[in-house]
Amino acid sequence: MRALMHGTHLRPSATGAAQRVMRRVSLSAALVTAALALAACGVTPQTVLEPTTEAARASHWLFMVVFWSGLAVFIVVEGALLYTIFRFRRRRGDTLPAQTHGNLKLEIGWTIAPTILVVLLAAFTVPVIFANAQEPEDDAVRVEAIGHQWWFEFVYPDLGVVTANELHLPVGKPAAIIIKSEDVLHSFWVPALRGKLDMVPGRTSVFRILPEQTGTFQGQCAEFCGTAHALMRFTVVVEEPDEFDAWAAHQLTDRVPPTSELAQAGEALLTPAGCALCHTIRGVTDIGTIGPDLTHVGSRAHIAANTMGMTRTDLEHWLRDPGDMKPGNLMILPRELTEDEIEALTEYLMGLK
Amino acid sequence: MATTTVSVRPNTYAGTAWSWITTVDHKRIAVLYFVTSLAFFALGGVEALMIRLQLSRPELDLVDPDRFAELFTMHGTTMVFLALMPLSAAFFNLLVPLMIGARDVAFPRLNALSYWVYLFGGIFLNISFIAGGAPAMGWFGYAPLTATEFADTHAVDFWAFGLQILGVSSILASINFIVTIINMRAPGMTFNRMPMFVWMTLITGFLIIFAFPVITIGLVLLLFDRYLGTSFFLYQGGGDPILWQHLFWVFGHPEVYILILPAMGVVSDVLPTFSRKPLFGYAVVAYSGAAIALVGFGVWTHHMFTVGLGPVADTAFAISTMAVAVPTGVKIFNWIATLWGGSISLRTPMLFAIGFIAMFILGGLTGVSLGSPPVDTQVQDTYYVVAHLHYVLFGGTIFGLFAGIYFWFPKMTGRMLSEGWGKVHFWLMMIGFNLAFGPQHQLGIDGMPRRIHTYGADMGWDAWNLMSTVGAWLIGLSMLIFAINAFRSLRSGRDAGPDPWDGGTLEWSMSSPPPVYNFAEVPVVDDRYPVWKEKRGGGHTGAVVTEPPVAESDHEDDEPHIHMPNPSYWPILVAAGMVLAACGLIFHQIFVLLGALIFGISLIGWIEEPPG
Repeated sequence: MRALMHGTHLRPSATGAAQRVMRRVSLSAALVTAALALAACGVTPQTVLEPTTEAARASHWLFMVVFWSGLAVFIVVEGALLYTIFRFRRRRGDTLPAQTHGNLKLEIGWTIAPTILVVLLAAFTVPVIFANAQEPEDDAVRVEAIGHQWWFEFVYPDLGVVTANELHLPVGKPAAIIIKSEDVLHSFWVPALRGKLDMVPGRTSVFRILPEQTGTFQGQCAEFCGTAHALMRFTVVVEEPDEFDAWAAHQLTDRVPPTSELAQAGEALLTPAGCALCHTIRGVTDIGTIGPDLTHVGSRAHIAANTMGMTRTDLEHWLRDPGDMKPGNLMILPRELTEDEIEALTEYLMGLK
Repeated sequence: MATTTVSVRPNTYAGTAWSWITTVDHKRIAVLYFVTSLAFFALGGVEALMIRLQLSRPELDLVDPDRFAELFTMHGTTMVFLALMPLSAAFFNLLVPLMIGARDVAFPRLNALSYWVYLFGGIFLNISFIAGGAPAMGWFGYAPLTATEFADTHAVDFWAFGLQILGVSSILASINFIVTIINMRAPGMTFNRMPMFVWMTLITGFLIIFAFPVITIGLVLLLFDRYLGTSFFLYQGGGDPILWQHLFWVFGHPEVYILILPAMGVVSDVLPTFSRKPLFGYAVVAYSGAAIALVGFGVWTHHMFTVGLGPVADTAFAISTMAVAVPTGVKIFNWIATLWGGSISLRTPMLFAIGFIAMFILGGLTGVSLGSPPVDTQVQDTYYVVAHLHYVLFGGTIFGLFAGIYFWFPKMTGRMLSEGWGKVHFWLMMIGFNLAFGPQHQLGIDGMPRRIHTYGADMGWDAWNLMSTVGAWLIGLSMLIFAINAFRSLRSGRDAGPDPWDGGTLEWSMSSPPPVYNFAEVPVVDDRYPVWKEKRGGGHTGAVVTEPPVAESDHEDDEPHIHMPNPSYWPILVAAGMVLAACGLIFHQIFVLLGALIFGISLIGWIEEPPG
C-alpha cells in the first residue's frame, strides 16, 4: 500500500510553466541545429575523409569499419533502450513486476556478443598497424621535419635543401620523413597523407609517405606546443618528379640578387635591422639559424607558418608587428622599423623567389 | 502514514559555523563536499563557456592565446580534480554509511581531513590566476612545456603542488571508505548484498590508491626538475619527455574509471528503484566494474599511439583497450535488462540515469574507434577526442551524478527538488550537451586540432563551432535552472519524508535527513533490498526504523545514548599546515617552516585528543 502511494505521480504547480518553457526551448534549439547543419556543408581542406595515400586510405577504411559497425551497435542498443522504456512505462494499476534477478544464459550471450565484435575489430586493426609501420625504402627521399615554436623546418640532407613550412615531395616516390623537435612537443600531421606522428625533443622517429597524387595538402601541428600552437600550419606540395627536381635545384642556389633600388635598400637593411641574427639568406648572410631560412622565401605561398599569405599587405603587417597576427611568436625586432624600411624589406623579401 | 513522519525533520545540520568547521559527521562532510564541488563545477563551467565563446567564430580575439591556454588547462584540471572526483566523494560520504548500516565512516576525523585538504588544495590551485598566471600547458602537463625553460613563472608549481595536495585528499578518503566498507557493514550485509553504489565506491577506492601514487612520483620528479635542476623529463640532461607521458597516463587512464565508476554505481541503484525491479545480473555488474578497473591499468599507451612506440606496443594496447568494451557492454545490457519487464516511472532521477546510458553508449563506441591505432593517429588530438571524452565524462559521469543528486537530495535535505524544473533541467542539458559535443566529432574529422585558440575562416569549421558554442551556453542555462531549483527547494520544497521514491536500500528506512547517529538500532540485513522486503511484507528484518525515537524532540537530553565521535578542529589545522607549507615553496620559505610547525603540532594534538 505504501509502495503504491509512492508510485503515483505528483505534479507540483511549477510543472505546467516548466513544460511551456521547455517546448519553446526545444523548438528553437531544433531550428538552430537545422540552420547550422545546412550552413556546415562547406569545404574542409584538412579533413581525414579524403585520403590520398595507401596508409591514409588504410586508416580511413578502418575508420569506416568502426564507424558503420559502431553505428549498427548504436542503433540496436539505443533502440533496445528506448523500446524498453516505452514498452514498460508505468501505467495506472501496475502491480509489482516480476522480480527477476538475472539470467545466466542471457548474460553469457551478451558477454560473448561484444567479445566477438571486439575480436573482429582487432583482427581488422592489427594488419593495418603493421602495414602502416612499414620502413621507408633505402632510396626514399629523405626529409628531416623539425618542429620549432611555432614553425616547421624541412631539411633534405641528401639534397642539401633547407626550407620552412612548405614541404615539397615528388609524386610516386617514397619519402622518409625523419621527425624531430628543437624545443617542445609538436606533431606532424597531414590528414590527406597519413596519420600524425609526434615530434619529440631528443627523439628521432621516421615514417614513410608515398604520395600518389599531385597537389597541395594542408597540415597542422596537433600537439599543444605553447602560445602560438593554433598558428603553426604547413603545406605539402606534391609535384611531378621533374618539377620537384627543378624546385630542389633552385632551392640550392644562392638568393636572387635584388634588381630594383628599393629591394637593394631592403637587402642592405638585413644586418642593421637585425634580420641576419636569426635568418639565413644564402649569398648574403648565413650566421642566423634560429628562424626559418629565407633564401627563397618569395617562392613560398605563405609566411608565418602558413597563417598569412606571401602578399605585400601581409608581409608589411608582419614586419610592422610580428606579434599582432601571431601573438607569442619568437621573432623579436631589435627596434621598430620605419615605414620606409618596411616597404624596402617587403619588396626585397617578395623578390626572393 | 507517511504524513506522520514527514513533519519531523531531525536537526542534523543545525549549529554554528564552528560546528561545521569541527564536524566529523559524514553527512555534514557530504554537504561540504557537495557545496564545494558544485562551486568548482560552476567555475570550470564558466571557463568552458569562455573557451566556447572564443571559438564560436573564426579569428576571434576575445581571449588572448595565453589566457586561452590557462582556461583549457584549468577547465580540465578543475573538472577532473575539483568538481567530479569530489562530487563522487560527496556521494561516498552521504551514502556509504547509510547504505551499509553504519553510524559513520571508519575514521571520521580522517574524513574531515580529506575534505579540508581538498578545499584548501582547490583554492591553492586557483590562487595561481591572481599570483602570476594559471598553469597553461594542458591538464596533462606534458614535458617539456612544464620545464623552467618554457614555464618560468610559478604556474606549473601551483599545478604540481596542487595535484599533490589533492592526491593526499583522495588517497586518505579512499583508505577511509575501503576500511569502512570492509569493516563496518551491518550484520548480514555481505558483499553480495551491498548496494551497487557501495561496490563501485569500493572499486574506485582501490583504483585511487593504486593510481595516485604513480602521478605522485611523476609530480615529485617534475618538481625535482624544476626546483633542483634534475633532468628526468629533459632530454638535454639524459631524461625523456615520454617518461612523463607514461607516468601520467598510467595514472590518467585509471583516473577516467575513477570518474565513471561512481556514476555507474548511482545509475545501478536508481534504475531498479524506478523500475521496481532488482538490478539484473547483480554479480555480473559488480564483477564487470572490477574488470573495467583492472583492465584500466593496462591500456594507458592508447593515449600515446602518436608517439611512435612501435607496432608491437600499439597492437598490445589496442587489444587491451578494445577489451574494455566487453565489461562495459555487459553493464549496459544488464541495465537495459533491469528496465525490461519493470514498471518504469520517468521521474527526474530516472531521466538522468537513462540519459547516462544513452550518452555513455556513444562515448563508449567512439572510444572503441580511438582504440584502433590507425584511426587514432588521424583523430588523436583533434576535437573528435574532445567529443569522445565529454560523451564519457559529461554524458556519462555528469548525467549519472545528477541522477544521484535528484535521487538523494530529498534524503540529504529532507526536501524534494521541483520535478517540473528538474525535467526542464534534464531536457535543456540533454539538448545543449548534444549540440555542444555532437558537432565536435565532425570538427575532429574535419581536422580541427584540440587546444587551438583560433582557426582560419578557410578551414570550414565555423558552423560546427558556432553550434557547439550555442550548445555549451544551453548547458550553462540548464545549470542555472538547476541552481535556482536547488535554492528554492531548500527553502520551500515539498517535505520528502523518509522514502519518497519507494526505495529498497537501507538509507530509505530512516528520516530525511537522517538523524546524527543514522541508525537508532543497527539493522540486520538479509536481502539486497531490505527496505523493499520489509515494505512488501517480507517480515521485520530490523532494517526499517520508520520512527526514530529522537525525531520527536529537539532536546539533546532526550537522545538515545548512542556514542558518536566528538567534533575536532585538528583536521582543518593539519590541512591548513600542509597547504601553507606548499605555499611556502612558492612564495617564501618561512611559510614552509610555519606550515610544517602547524602540521606537526596539529598531528600531535590529533593523536592526543581525548576520546569523547
